[in-house]
Amino acid sequence: MRHEQDEFADFYRASRDSCLKAVTAVVGDRELAEEQVAEAFTRAWMSWGKVRRHAAPRAWVVRTALNLGVSWWRRRHREVPLADHDAAAPARPGDGVDPALLAALRRLPARQREVLALRIFLDLDTETTAKVIGIAPGTVMAHLSRAVAALRRDLPPANTDTNASEVMQ
Amino acid sequence: MNEQNDVMCHVRESFSGLRMDMPVEDLFARSRVRRRRRLSGLTAAATATAGSALALTLALGGPAPARSGNPPPSRPGPVKLAAFSVTNGPGASTTLTLHKGPQYPRLDPSALRQALARHGIPALVTVGTFCRSKPGAVGFDKVVSASDQADGSAIVINGQAMPPGTELSIGLFPRYTRMLLIKDGVPLSCSSTPSRQPAAHITPTGVPIRGSQNNSQVKRTS
Repeated sequence: MRHEQDEFADFYRASRDSCLKAVTAVVGDRELAEEQVAEAFTRAWMSWGKVRRHAAPRAWVVRTALNLGVSWWRRRHREVPLADHDAAAPARPGDGVDPALLAALRRLPARQREVLALRIFLDLDTETTAKVIGIAPGTVMAHLSRAVAALRRDLPPANTDTNASEVMQ
Repeated sequence: MNEQNDVMCHVRESFSGLRMDMPVEDLFARSRVRRRRRLSGLTAAATATAGSALALTLALGGPAPARSGNPPPSRPGPVKLAAFSVTNGPGASTTLTLHKGPQYPRLDPSALRQALARHGIPALVTVGTFCRSKPGAVGFDKVVSASDQADGSAIVINGQAMPPGTELSIGLFPRYTRMLLIKDGVPLSCSSTPSRQPAAHITPTGVPIRGSQNNSQVKRTS
C-alpha cells in the first residue's frame, strides 16, 4: 500500500500541471479545470491498479476530467440562481493565459480542442491520441489541422509568434 | 508544418505559467472520505435488511463524526430580514433562504454571517467575489443542499456535518450565489468577475474590507 501511494504520488506530481493545462485549454476556465482534474486524479487513485496499467495514464486523467462536465461542478459548488435568471457563472479565464488565445480556443469545436490539448500538453502522438479519444488517426490529423488553421486565423500575427508573451508586454 | 509548430508552440508557452498546487495528500483524503461513505452506504443497506442498523453502523465507523465545535445548547430564534432568513430545521439543520427580488442586491453580508454564526455555522460571506482555500476542504455535499422555492432559494445547511477546521464560503453575486467548504487558517484565493462592483470582503472577525478582490490572495485576520 505504501509503495502504491508513493508511486501514485510520483505520478501525480509529474502529471498534474500538464493535465491541468490540457483540461483548461478544453474547458476555458481554470477554476473549473482545477476542480475537474482534482476529481479525476482522486478517481485515478481509487482505481490505481487499473489506471497504472493504462497505455497513457495522463490521458486517462484528462478524459475522466472532461467527462465530468460542468453539471458535476455546479452540483459541487451549489450555484444558486436568483430572481428570474438562471445565469451560469461567467467563465473565469485561465490565470496568466492570454485571454485572446482562450477566447480563440473556446470558438473551436470541442473535439478539435481536445485533440489539440492532448497533442500539445500530453505530447501524445497521432496513434495514441486516436486510441484515447476513440477516433481514426486520420481524423485526429484533420482535427489538428483545422484547429491550427482556425487559431492562425483568429489570433493576431504577433500572438502566433513563440515570443508572444514578450511582444505583448 | 512550421506554421503548425509555431501555433502549437505559442499555445504551449501561453499555458506555461499554469500550475496545479493541490497537494497529493488532499487527493488521498478525498478518496478516504469517498470510501468511508461507500462503506457507510453498504452498511446502512445491510443493516436495514438485518434490522440492526445502529449496531452495524457503529461497528464499521458509520457516518462522519459530528463537528467538534458543538452547536449552541438551545437553538436560536429565526432571523427574518428582507433579503434573507435563517431558520431552524429540518431536524438539526439550519435553513437559509435567499429571497428573490430587488432587496437581494442590498443583502448585508455581515448580518448574514452573524445570523449563521448564531446557528453554529462559521461562514465567510463575500459580495461580488468568491473565496476558495488552498488547499480546499472535502465534505461539502454532506453539509449543503439547495432547492428552489416560490419566494427564493432555500439552502439547508447541516452545521454539525462540517468537518473541524472548516467554514462555509458564500459568494453573493447579482444573479447567483456560490458556496463551497473551505479550510480555516490557510491562504485564500478570491476572484471576482469583470464588470462587477468593488467587493465587500468580510473577514471572520466581521470586519468588512472594501475593494476589488480580483484573483488576489487574501490572508484571514482571525
